[in-house]
Amino acid sequence: MKQAVVKQALIGAVLALWLWAGALPGHAAITGVTGTSFSFVAREGYVSTPDGGSVYSWGYALDNGLMQYPGPTLIVNQGATVTITLRNELPAAAGNVSIVFPGHAATASGGVAGGLTREAPPDGTTAATYTFTAANPGTYSYHSGTRIGLQVDMGLVGAIIVRPSGFNPANPTAYNHPDSAYTYEHLFLLTEMDVPFHQAVQAGVLAGAINVDTTTFFAVTWFINGRCAPDTMLDDGVPWLPNQPYGAMVMMHPGDKVLLRLIGAGRDSHPFHHHGNNSTIIARDGKLLESAPGQGADLALSDFTIAMSPGSTVDALYTWTGEKLGWDAYGTGAEYEHSCNGISVNAVNPASAGFDPVTREYCPDHGKPIPVVLPSDAELTYGPNYGGSPFLGSGGALPPGQSSLNPNSGYFFMWHSHNEKEMTNYDIFPGGMMTHVVIEHPNVMLMGGN
Amino acid sequence: MLKPVRTSILPLLVWLFLVPCGIAPAAEFYLRAGVNTLTMPDNTVVTIWGFALDTDNNFATVDGTVTSPGPMLSVPATDTTLTIHLRNTLPEPVSIVVPGQITTMAPQFFTDGQGRSRVRSFTAEAAANGGEATYTWTNFRPGTFMYQSGSHVAVQVQMGLFGGVRKDAAAGQVYPGIGYSREAILFFSEIDPALHAAVAGGTYGPGRAMTSTIDYAPKYFLYNGQAEITLTGVVPTIAVGDRVLVRLINAGIMTRAPELLNSSMTVLSEDGNVAPYPILERNALALLAGKTMDVIVTPEAGGTVMSLFDRRGYTSLGTSNGGGTATGQVIPGLAAPPTTGTVVQGGGNGGGGGGGGGGCFINTLFN
Repeated sequence: MKQAVVKQALIGAVLALWLWAGALPGHAAITGVTGTSFSFVAREGYVSTPDGGSVYSWGYALDNGLMQYPGPTLIVNQGATVTITLRNELPAAAGNVSIVFPGHAATASGGVAGGLTREAPPDGTTAATYTFTAANPGTYSYHSGTRIGLQVDMGLVGAIIVRPSGFNPANPTAYNHPDSAYTYEHLFLLTEMDVPFHQAVQAGVLAGAINVDTTTFFAVTWFINGRCAPDTMLDDGVPWLPNQPYGAMVMMHPGDKVLLRLIGAGRDSHPFHHHGNNSTIIARDGKLLESAPGQGADLALSDFTIAMSPGSTVDALYTWTGEKLGWDAYGTGAEYEHSCNGISVNAVNPASAGFDPVTREYCPDHGKPIPVVLPSDAELTYGPNYGGSPFLGSGGALPPGQSSLNPNSGYFFMWHSHNEKEMTNYDIFPGGMMTHVVIEHPNVMLMGGN
Repeated sequence: MLKPVRTSILPLLVWLFLVPCGIAPAAEFYLRAGVNTLTMPDNTVVTIWGFALDTDNNFATVDGTVTSPGPMLSVPATDTTLTIHLRNTLPEPVSIVVPGQITTMAPQFFTDGQGRSRVRSFTAEAAANGGEATYTWTNFRPGTFMYQSGSHVAVQVQMGLFGGVRKDAAAGQVYPGIGYSREAILFFSEIDPALHAAVAGGTYGPGRAMTSTIDYAPKYFLYNGQAEITLTGVVPTIAVGDRVLVRLINAGIMTRAPELLNSSMTVLSEDGNVAPYPILERNALALLAGKTMDVIVTPEAGGTVMSLFDRRGYTSLGTSNGGGTATGQVIPGLAAPPTTGTVVQGGGNGGGGGGGGGGCFINTLFN
């Protein structure tokens, strides 16, 4: 039966585990561009929304690339002098465009004078050049410094990640302190759009003059990394989302430390709520929450709904082990033979202290049965993410014709804006500012980056 | 049409000269609630309510200009008592409260059409059309606070009946042990012209054209009462090494997100409550309605302009490409300190920084 097939696969995987040890897929890293010199071009394009929408937008493109929403994620090293040139190929009615870099002391040259910084006029050739030293590690944003109410909503935003000096990809930290160590990192750049506003801008472009009222801003669609759910769960760079290259699907093993790099990049605040466990907020706006320099994240706090206001960034560490669930997440009984700290689940006294070093199982709950009588198939309605059993990594029989998007029987937790209205795509639920994390059995190889 | 109260600016200037920074008189102020008008950047004239500082400390003569925000009140570090005398020339009762400061309150009630007793004011009122009242806080604590009307708050605060009041812990110390060398005060507020027009035109209230503020739709976004693209009078002259205290006050209804470029803001306090670790730096803040935040900006490099603006992007004249300018509404922020690192007086950046009284606290008295 299917269950047996999965178990056989797992047995094979257990054997393979040791071969994989140290050779699991690389840390799920944030997709972006590295280096010190970048060429940006402001271009127009269309943002696809899962309600069938195709929203006229503006964004920063890299070199000859397509407009993208959000703009290219810049991954730079602490201490580097970063130079970005910006040309503006937007239609003339769009006017000038610029970039500002909160958290960095930037200088600007070229282009034309603007209110906050030098700007690139919409002639396609005149370039404004911005230079800053990436003095401090952390998570930052960049955005247009020109007519912010218009251009931020139109899509001219992006992320900057500054790696700490001495960054070791095999043992990564977000800051210059081990309190910021992580296994995988994921970006959550939160934005929203007032779609009728975009339509009015497009009409204005066609008419040769944009005349929209930015004070009436009223978002109707919400994004993580420029995508609305369920597109957030697609891989990076899927070809049918050419202007939205960044996904937001998190995969992890029990005990992994996932670094959430959150950015409030839109005009509204969003309460980012992650299921499954609290996270630990270790930094805001690129500053480790420390009581004094060198103290580490000693002012970190535990939270499960993170207030992301416009312009703010948060770094939070998330892990999941099933600790204190009160039952054995890997199952109990002869069917679910496994060990925790070397003790079989079927031993007379299976529990022990601490966590299993390999599976990260919480050993005090080892061998405790799930405290419900599992209903029969006929009494269940199946969702697409159910693998066939409530136990991590163990599938089970599914009704004929029932498919599953969860072949490895991982645990899915929804991460989303807890302003539930923002989990819609222009009035259609579910969607919007929502994605999932899937906790996979330690034997399951994770897919690449997010 | 209500006539704006126009009085000479001279007494105001005299007051400013007589009351240099840090040498406030005994913390007793005479405020007059009244009407004035503001001309918006699109030349729309908006009726506002505000407070005027009665400069001769009695209400026998009408002096002082009605502004919103009202006059910045300063309680000397050595003084623990604040007394505000209020004369109300508005057509409805007005009161004054200071959220965050403790005093005895005398809420005012009325009986509605269904016989229910409902609160009208958080404390005792000065009656409409000439009534007077006195408010006293005997244990005034240090920090940045907002005073505002405690009556018919949904309308009166929107109409402009608010101002700032501050007290330092000691000379040059905003809170105990936390010093500063320069200071700026920045009010955020908004104007929904429909409400102001309805109040001014007598069409606001039960049974009238506008019955509530539920359809709040601000069109003008004000900094220190100015809706202009380029502000003046906000920015102190600063130098490398200064500790510039910026007192942020959101007197509006919307959450605003002040973001600073080219430096960061060390958050000292919220609502006059000092943070356990007043050392954490932010680039952008969530400044909620009614909130005050004290932040320190430390200019690190000469010649670097540190611009402060609303990251939410709300601008007056949100129509067209930023209201006739290519930039939208930008607070010029903190002027570039001189590259020599020496203190100069009366400087400012090209964006209209202004000297701001040679580094004294920046007056928000403007019309």
